[in-house]
Amino acid sequence: MNRLKFVRSQETTSSRLLTVVLLTALALAITFVLPPVADSQLAGGAAITIVILGLSWLIGWSGQISLGNSGFMAVGAYAAGIWASHHTTTPLVFTFVLATVAGAISGLIVGLPSTRLRGPYLAGMTLAFAAAITPLAQNFTSVTGGSGGLFLSSLVTPSWFLHLFSGQNATINANAQWTADLAVLIAGLTFFIMANLFHSRTGRAMRLVRDNDVAAELMGISLSRTRTMAFVVAASFAGLGGALYTVINTTVNPQTFPVTLSITLLTLMVLGGIGTLSGAVIGGIIYAFSPNLITHINALTGVNPTSNLGSNMQGIIFGVLLILTMIFAPRGIAGLSPRLGRLVKLRK
Amino acid sequence: MSSFLTSSFMHNIFGGLSQGVIYALVALSLVIIWQSTHILNFAQGAMAMFATYIGMTELDRGINYWWCVLISVVVGMILGGLTERVLIRPLYGKSEINPIVVMVGFLGVIEAVTTAIWTGTTRNVTEPFSQVYYLSNDKIILLSPFNIFQIVLAVTIMLLVAALFRFTKLGLQLRASALAPEVARLLGVRVNRMLTIGWMLSAGVGAIAAVIIASGNFGLFPTDMNGIFVAGFIAAAVGGLESPIGAIAGGLLIGLAEQFILAYWSPNVAPLGGIIILVIALMIRPQGIFTKKVGRRV
Repeated sequence: MNRLKFVRSQETTSSRLLTVVLLTALALAITFVLPPVADSQLAGGAAITIVILGLSWLIGWSGQISLGNSGFMAVGAYAAGIWASHHTTTPLVFTFVLATVAGAISGLIVGLPSTRLRGPYLAGMTLAFAAAITPLAQNFTSVTGGSGGLFLSSLVTPSWFLHLFSGQNATINANAQWTADLAVLIAGLTFFIMANLFHSRTGRAMRLVRDNDVAAELMGISLSRTRTMAFVVAASFAGLGGALYTVINTTVNPQTFPVTLSITLLTLMVLGGIGTLSGAVIGGIIYAFSPNLITHINALTGVNPTSNLGSNMQGIIFGVLLILTMIFAPRGIAGLSPRLGRLVKLRK
Repeated sequence: MSSFLTSSFMHNIFGGLSQGVIYALVALSLVIIWQSTHILNFAQGAMAMFATYIGMTELDRGINYWWCVLISVVVGMILGGLTERVLIRPLYGKSEINPIVVMVGFLGVIEAVTTAIWTGTTRNVTEPFSQVYYLSNDKIILLSPFNIFQIVLAVTIMLLVAALFRFTKLGLQLRASALAPEVARLLGVRVNRMLTIGWMLSAGVGAIAAVIIASGNFGLFPTDMNGIFVAGFIAAAVGGLESPIGAIAGGLLIGLAEQFILAYWSPNVAPLGGIIILVIALMIRPQGIFTKKVGRRV
């Protein structure tokens, strides 16, 4: 089993494409059924899925612990925000590409020292990066809008999409759903890219570096390049996710990306399953609908949702879940059902 | 002489030192845990903050400040011991990512619970000493009685910890179980108990740092210690995580560097000061400035 992990995967790119297309189509179909509020939640979940995909790749596959992915998200979000608030007419695609590149560059900067750092040192350094981003965004007021942040014009729903709807709340429904569909499509695309990356030569090299760096070096794999690459990829995904998040919410400010967001991301990834593609999707879904779950729990336990305890319920539950998962089921939800995973060919 | 004390250079030195001793305390507390269990406690700052909340709310009941400090430290130590017993013990021998993730989760839980109990608004803690700066010929020396108190207290704690490790039987046992757990166990040291004591000691030192922070300008709020923790970690990492002396030196260095970057470069980039120092220090000596290089067995 352990040896097999390094062998080239049996499934082909086209079979992965089929899986992704089916999953995306399913998600798109679901957006037609969901009410507008749930659609907006799903859009946020799709953005977070992209970030978790990168984090999962970094922690699970390259074995490098990062607590700085909220920082990478912030870089992408601000790149998108700064560009889109000045150039309202450029196509959205360009904004996303720009944010991805900005994320990748920040990943390169943070990743370069990572070739010398291991484990807790790396975790601490990335945490320091994430902690520095918020005050930086606050300080450079002329570019980032300070603590007020930046505001983007909202997404324009194309007219052909509007025609699918009729009735009183047509535009509201259509807008929410268009946002969700767009987010799901982008998430599907990144999922496909990551699925291929997982099984590519780089992906296999990365796992070898994680499990036995001496052996990897003897096989001619450059350790520093592979480790830096891992950061660049993870950060570009986080950048794209952050940009999508910004476009969905049409605003970005320093409070959007606190260090606790890194903890949330870590929780979602660990809950879903470290180093699994399906785990990232599970994490994204949990993120999207956790507010509903929290409301439900508050109602069940009779806690006033606007009280102190009620408004901090999510932090408490997420933290406890993270600890319990790590101690009792470190492979997460995706690890609980390996057979299910094999069935849909998501896990390897 | 007096013009020297009031010069802007000495302002930065004093400001840097008063901040640096706090970083040094946090770094020291991290090093104590790292030495004994090879775990970086990401919840260190939050645990200390929580203990300080419990101690300092007693102020409202009219209890003397110094008793509140004592309560904070004792609660901190109990919390540290419990954390080791309940959360950390199942993870010994697991991959290094597990304890990191668990402690990050614990950090989240503590901050959420603290906000749930005491709300996120800042509590003012009556400082035991005046925060008004000393004057010399009507010019400010950037030192207040409170600054003197925080420096003296921090240095006292450091000396106490050093004395404990060096001169007491308990200190010898602690060092033995960190250095060679198996041998220590064979010689009759209760290694597991030593690990718990190490965590308690560390949490106590951390609580002192949090008490000082809370009593200072900024008061007490749930995310109080996040920035301090990051700076303390950077200090400990620069010193090499293994060396208490390195941690203290690192703390002072970071405190001074932050102050000088603020004064001579740009306040806008000040948040990046610590991380820049960390990267440079680790690029030059990845194992830390104060530790010997350890060969890696293949």
